Amino acid sequence: MRLSIDVGGTFTDLVVDRLSGAAEVFKAPTTYPDPIDGILSAVALAANAQGITTEAFLGGVEVLFHSTTRAINAVITGQAARTALLATEGHPDILLIREGGRTDPFNYRIGYPAPYIPRALTFEIPGRILADGGERRTLDEAAVLRVIERLKEEKVEAVAVSLLWSIVNPAHELRVGELLAEHLPGVPFTLAHQLNPTVREYRRTSSCAIDASLKPIMSAYLRALKQRLGAHGMAGQIFAVTSQGGLVDVEELAERPILALNSGPSMAPVAGRYFAALQGATTAIVTDAGGTTYDVSLVRDGALPRTRETWLGPIYQGHLTGFPSVDVKSVGAGGGSIASVEGGLLRVGPESARSDPGPVCYGRGGTRPTVTDAAVVLGYIDPDFFLGGRMGLAVAAARAAIERDVAIPLGLGVEEAALAIIDLATESMVHAIEDITVKQGVDPEDAVMIGGGGAAGINAVLIARRLGCRSILFPDVGAALSAAGAMMSELTSEFSQVVFMRTGAFDAAAANAIIAGLKERAEAFFASAGGRARERRVDLAIEGRYPSQVWEIDVPIDEAMLAAEDAASRLVAAFHARHQELFGFRDDGDEVEIMGWRALARCRLADESAIRLPSGVDSAPTRSRTMTFRETGPIEAPAYRLEALDPSVTVKGPAVVESNFTTVVLAPGSEARKTAEGGLCVQPLVQSVTRLREFAA
Amino acid sequence: MTAALQTSAAAGFDGVKLAIMQKRFDGVTRKMANTLLRTARSGVINTARDFSCALVTADCELLTAADSYPIHVIGGADLMARAMLDLHPELQPGDAFLHNSPYHGNSHAADHTILVPVFDDDGVHRFTVLAKAHQADCGNSLPTTYMGLARDVYAEGALIFPAVKVQTGYRDVADIINMCLMRIRVPDQWRGDYLAMVGAARIGEREITRMGRELGWDTLSAHARDWFDLSERRMIEVIGQMRSGKARATCVHDPLPGAPADGIPATADVIVDSEGGRISVDMTDNIDCVPVGVNLSHACARTAALVGVLNSLPTPVIPNAGTLRRIDVTLRENCCVGIPRHPVSTSVATTNLGDRVTNAVQRALAQIDPNVGMAEGGAGLPPAAGVISGADPRNGHAFINEVILAAGGGPGTPVQDGWLSLFCMGNAGMPFYDSIEIDEMLHPMLVERRSIAQDSEGAGAFRGAPGIRTEFRPVDCDFELGFVSDGTVNPAQGVCGGLPSLSARQFLESDGGEITPLGTAEQIRVRADQKVVSLSNGGGGYGDPTTRDPERVRVDVAEGLVSRERAEAVYKVALTADLRVDAAATAALRAA
Repeated sequence: MRLSIDVGGTFTDLVVDRLSGAAEVFKAPTTYPDPIDGILSAVALAANAQGITTEAFLGGVEVLFHSTTRAINAVITGQAARTALLATEGHPDILLIREGGRTDPFNYRIGYPAPYIPRALTFEIPGRILADGGERRTLDEAAVLRVIERLKEEKVEAVAVSLLWSIVNPAHELRVGELLAEHLPGVPFTLAHQLNPTVREYRRTSSCAIDASLKPIMSAYLRALKQRLGAHGMAGQIFAVTSQGGLVDVEELAERPILALNSGPSMAPVAGRYFAALQGATTAIVTDAGGTTYDVSLVRDGALPRTRETWLGPIYQGHLTGFPSVDVKSVGAGGGSIASVEGGLLRVGPESARSDPGPVCYGRGGTRPTVTDAAVVLGYIDPDFFLGGRMGLAVAAARAAIERDVAIPLGLGVEEAALAIIDLATESMVHAIEDITVKQGVDPEDAVMIGGGGAAGINAVLIARRLGCRSILFPDVGAALSAAGAMMSELTSEFSQVVFMRTGAFDAAAANAIIAGLKERAEAFFASAGGRARERRVDLAIEGRYPSQVWEIDVPIDEAMLAAEDAASRLVAAFHARHQELFGFRDDGDEVEIMGWRALARCRLADESAIRLPSGVDSAPTRSRTMTFRETGPIEAPAYRLEALDPSVTVKGPAVVESNFTTVVLAPGSEARKTAEGGLCVQPLVQSVTRLREFAA
Repeated sequence: MTAALQTSAAAGFDGVKLAIMQKRFDGVTRKMANTLLRTARSGVINTARDFSCALVTADCELLTAADSYPIHVIGGADLMARAMLDLHPELQPGDAFLHNSPYHGNSHAADHTILVPVFDDDGVHRFTVLAKAHQADCGNSLPTTYMGLARDVYAEGALIFPAVKVQTGYRDVADIINMCLMRIRVPDQWRGDYLAMVGAARIGEREITRMGRELGWDTLSAHARDWFDLSERRMIEVIGQMRSGKARATCVHDPLPGAPADGIPATADVIVDSEGGRISVDMTDNIDCVPVGVNLSHACARTAALVGVLNSLPTPVIPNAGTLRRIDVTLRENCCVGIPRHPVSTSVATTNLGDRVTNAVQRALAQIDPNVGMAEGGAGLPPAAGVISGADPRNGHAFINEVILAAGGGPGTPVQDGWLSLFCMGNAGMPFYDSIEIDEMLHPMLVERRSIAQDSEGAGAFRGAPGIRTEFRPVDCDFELGFVSDGTVNPAQGVCGGLPSLSARQFLESDGGEITPLGTAEQIRVRADQKVVSLSNGGGGYGDPTTRDPERVRVDVAEGLVSRERAEAVYKVALTADLRVDAAATAALRAA
């Protein structure tokens, strides 16, 4: 049996794969301050469903996949360790000056961000390496020892060491590490060149600082997780989900906790890719609509999207992780996003009602109307059957809140106001998706949209129409998309080397030696995964650019290319093609500068088996109720149960299709059919051109 | 989600429709910007992000300049598009124009702009997209894009292109390209930047064409009209929150050889008419053009005044043609902060004197209403933001580029401390600051220091940002350095009781310890055994520093931005030995 646990801000999702073809999904509230209580609650639910004890249940677990928001929460809430930064002399302000940049040019009312590590805990280390790796000034070890004494006085709990050019010559950083290990035992530290060997000192230093600050808390958490699950009989191996969309042994995560920062959202595209492939699609827009945010990502040609720029907090005001990760874009537009009117202007989000107090309709003390409340007012969500009937909804209160906060200030009817809220949320979501599609030269028309997360179904049809998407797939485990994704994920690790090389002066022997070295490290990684590792693959890529460009692009390569007589011109051709693909033009006359070489090692721990829920026996009758659509106004429309749908029957909007964890709204003109795998496939049908023309008329 | 929608019934607008459509227009310029940043060749574009993208209607009204430098486009995109129409009455699909003439609406000669008119399927001109980028070199007589001491455009030496057709039928007019390749230093780098600019403009064209076909061209045009009306209405509301009144403020640029010995003043006469919903800025009481390179172009004079107003509003607004209807800027011909006549030099129009105009307007507004306005921002273009050039001993190649290591710090505002990485008011903190490793990799240089200068901030209830000390030097060669550092004689002034920042300073220091002082504007050779030391200008303070929240002072001291001595002497805040606020001693200091 395999388990996947995703600890989110609101719910802890558990997916159980019994290896008998049937999976189950459980949700328990996330607990604070100790999330392990919530994990054990979810496990108890699952054990109960099998009619066995928690101990017996955990005793049968072979592998556990775990993703958590713990690391990111520690950063956001300022609970990370008291961390010091050791930086090159003359450069103590790398984390303060950063890389500049500012949004909202005329708004000077936003404060300048404080550095991730305060200046008071930043220490300058004499010694200087040059761009070519030469040593301009030797490391002053006596000065390092004096700094270490200061670190003791300051009672620091972790240390980040980031020196200029350590990526080309790490001697100084390594020596500082030795001195720390010897003279400051028990205090964890991170060496920047080992964590994130990338040029640009701010990014490398920022990742180093974040990583070091997470080491104490994440080590303690992972230790407690192992102990407490072990105490309940769990014997299997635990793998942690990474921001890169892969899995690592929890021991490695304790060494490099920054890997876990964005671990939950990174799994949505993994699951999305799998479900898209079942429909024969290799390009998918994966959406995950939660309570607070709407996370979107693009799977293109079957590949996960990756980025080097991930911000904790708003761009230019937060901290750059400086670390590659799965490119998941979040906008503050979820089911809990609050709608308000300021100075005659409607706003939706980014402020969220979260799980506490939640939307007005939850009746838990929320007073400000949300997107979910709008969906309730429009009749999309069944007030009597929310979360499978476990929660009744307060419709009148939701209606009153929308009337008071939106309808009256805008001079609209309540339904009209609710439609406006949905429309504005839709537009933000469309914008987020356009950023990852159109901006990258991908036409959404060629992609299937994957609707994940509990709130996805409310406006997915409207979003798809705006984008011109031809189909939307709601997988049966979509409400726990991330946890399901971990089940399908691969064990991965990335190895890279910064070596500058011009294709005009291509050194085939050196290139092959670099690649051979990277592959050797990949093989060692596979060996550490033991006999379980199968489908081993190593993806090679160069990071290249035209001369004097500074933003590299990743270009996949293979060994055959490098072995060829004309290796250089093959690399150049591949680069031109990729540049054209990304930016619409190429510079045929130019050579290419290779800045870095990368190898991504991937293997599987189990077959990429279908994670699916058992087909339902629920034969609840189709009911109907009044729903409001922009095209029709109030209308009596059917509400189908997904479990009871016959896969041979096409249902047409206006209607909704409900399951225990989600509601899919079929706007007039759209239609849907249950898939063989138990999900719902929706055709929006009415294309954006028509709809928007009507709208704009 | 940040969309702002206007009520439909009350104002007669469909706010939902407007917000959605405007987001798509904003998206067009963002797509253009992404292409330009990622593909350009020179550091000033691909690292410092010294570029802007904008979109104007067929009537040349500014529709969006999302993520653009204010000084580049707010008051100039319309003038440039107008010049294109005037000079080329017969536009065709596939045309593109290279425009850098400060006498035809451009900012200054170093800002090359590509304009592409966008046509509907019936051949009607509907919109014009602009991609503007500061070039690493523009063919000046000296290897710098800022000719601070040029007596006229001939001394500058740049090729001037008044909206010259550079593409026809989507193909380059090779003659123009060839002229540039013969005049601009490091021509391959320029050609790469040109490709990136044209690429960005064509992406803008493609996106608007797609919108027009999807939504209908008349819908797009109707949107622009409604959006302008809505924005104007919003601006009237915002001005209505301000006090009415009039004030005059003067901000003085440091003296330059050939210009008045006591500096070049920029005086703004500002009137706020709260009831009438109108703000006017009169810049006519200023001296004539001066025989140096800091005169403002028409676009920069107008924009600098507009930026001063937009920065100062109690609630931020979105600048477009509708918003700008409520701001009147009066300029005078042949005035150094007005409308220059050819061949007056405007080589440095985007930063120095432009910032002085903006600062004067901000201070005048603070005098009218202490809840609005701002202090002065730190002056731009110190050596740490200078243009370096020479031959790279590592490969023999020529190099030239503006480095962006540090520049001015942000001003204090009525509610907030200054933004550290401001650069200058006209750029609004949007430039990226160079990575030291990237600079050292691309150029034969070593950056020995870039760190905050203690006690350099303009003190205030809300203080200005501190200055930055930068030290850099050539490696195994000499290089040339050009800069026009303002703020040495006249640092950023405070307002409403706030104090000025520490003055900028710059000098060369040899390994033997010999100090060579540097003036305000220089083009110098830096020897291999010398380093450049540049202390950039922080921002001025807003409000009396003795009213500053003691907790903020404590943090500044703990973080080393302000010394204990200064905390006591200037902010009147006493701290205990373990750096806590000593409330009793502070009260006593402040009562004295």
